[in-house]
Amino acid sequence: MSRRAMTVVAGIVVVGAALLAGLRVAVNDNRSTEASSFNAKTGWGEPNLTGVWKATPLGADSGRDTFNLTKLEGLYTSEARERMKALSANDDPTLRCTPPLFPRAAMLGQPVQIVQRPGFAYVLTEAYPVFRIIPTTGRPHTAPQYLFPTQMGDSTARWEGDTLVVDVISFNGEGWLASPHDKPRNASTGIWLTSDALHIVERWRRIDADTLEYQARVEDPKTLTMPWETPTVTFKRQAVDRIEDVLCRPEDGPDTYLARLGS
Amino acid sequence: MGVRRLAVMAMLACSGIAVLAFVVAIGPSRASAQIRTYTPPKTAPPGADWTKRIEEILPPGVESRAQATERIASYKPDPVKYPVPRTAWDGKPDFSGVYWPDATVTPPPVPLESLYRPDAREYRERGGAAAGLIDWRGIDTPNYHCWPPSPVNGSMGGTVQLVSAPGYLLLLNEGGSNFRIIPIVGENGRQPIASRKPSFQGSSVGHWEGDTLVVDVTNFNGKPWLGNAQPPDRLPQTSSDAMHIVERWSRPDAQIFEYQVVVQDPKMLTAPWTGATERRGILPYDSVQESLCVLDPELDARHREFAAQQAKKKGAVR
Repeated sequence: MSRRAMTVVAGIVVVGAALLAGLRVAVNDNRSTEASSFNAKTGWGEPNLTGVWKATPLGADSGRDTFNLTKLEGLYTSEARERMKALSANDDPTLRCTPPLFPRAAMLGQPVQIVQRPGFAYVLTEAYPVFRIIPTTGRPHTAPQYLFPTQMGDSTARWEGDTLVVDVISFNGEGWLASPHDKPRNASTGIWLTSDALHIVERWRRIDADTLEYQARVEDPKTLTMPWETPTVTFKRQAVDRIEDVLCRPEDGPDTYLARLGS
Repeated sequence: MGVRRLAVMAMLACSGIAVLAFVVAIGPSRASAQIRTYTPPKTAPPGADWTKRIEEILPPGVESRAQATERIASYKPDPVKYPVPRTAWDGKPDFSGVYWPDATVTPPPVPLESLYRPDAREYRERGGAAAGLIDWRGIDTPNYHCWPPSPVNGSMGGTVQLVSAPGYLLLLNEGGSNFRIIPIVGENGRQPIASRKPSFQGSSVGHWEGDTLVVDVTNFNGKPWLGNAQPPDRLPQTSSDAMHIVERWSRPDAQIFEYQVVVQDPKMLTAPWTGATERRGILPYDSVQESLCVLDPELDARHREFAAQQAKKKGAVR
């Protein structure tokens, strides 16, 4: 290569680097503008969790476990294991488009929208669309005479600093805690039963403008020997103002459905 | 549980009215797989009014649907006695509440059916964009498939919860646990993000005209039916992907909200159709309950078998 050509190349590199550096500064500037305009609190002073959020899909497969499911598998009581023997992957309730309960819904890696108004947070899911109504004032659960078992449970919450701590009871015992695909070991059954004694404590916290953290503690004395803790799920803000509207159809099957959502 | 679900579905089919088959999932649904022999449940005679049957079992002191409708229809809004609640963030009417009894304030000026294009007939015969999914001369309707309710009613089913939040109106249906998210364009002109997939409920964008929330809905997938078929005469009132709906939501006082719709669909209708002005009355609750709509494929198969048997029997009598 001649000296002249080398100079030209070097020139391009320098100019390119300068351009890149400039761009980088611009990007950073945008970010800092966004961060400063981010309202950590709602207009009425509650921590602000609103937005559309999405996490990386989590689970357990071929020796890789990103959701602490190896631990969960070991917690099932012998009675629960007995019940599991009669079940197969075909009994997964999501096959009939029944929405998965949280924390399973948080593992899917599908968008979740949070809307708030004074005293309430609403959690809406894109996959297997369903809504949760969560009082945020720390009031008691729905009175027992009006409480009946449901798929998503009865939620009530309080703020601990910036963390929304949601207590969920009154499940119908139909939901599974993970998918039949989740097999932390070769011998795993992929069956993740719950009972109507399920009690979940969730912690939702926004750590910056673009990040929301979720963690859950799962108790189910009828199926688990001790409580199980999920790892922290990190949701990232999506640049949209609402989740998509994609109905689940049982004839599709969950794999087709989730693929249709992502496309 | 499984038997109860079957009974409900068969009754709905026999009653011939379009009621969502809401299945409140109580107890393990695996029970449904345990039904070995199928016995047709005892049902009301064909044509019996299902809502009447529900009213028969209402506890004393509870308003029946007919009474509630009557009360709401004749209600005179009184914003002095029941001031319109307003949000703290923009001072606009706060729609938040759980609403149930509905009544028509003004009927549509012309019936929807009168505006259908003659050349849409073939499309309607096939069930529209739902061709192959819905057999409109048979047992199934969009409701049966757990699709959202007709957009003519704003996708509202029975009991509905509205939630006003900064920048949004949420609509949460008790039946089917279906919801709509309506972003509201603010005073600063925040534009909603348009790149969305066509869907059953379309993409909504709201803006305020005084105290009325005007919502434009486009980007439908062509599958919703505006009204069900009435076999054998009336075809399903299908829609197309060109449908554009304009909704007007208002809150005359704290006791009610009102809703009105104008439907444009140049592929289906010869002119825009103005729907009824509907009104709903508030209930003293702050949350609807979960009531999932589940179409169990196995039950569906049995239901179809049952319907086919019934059809055969009917034929034999004639």
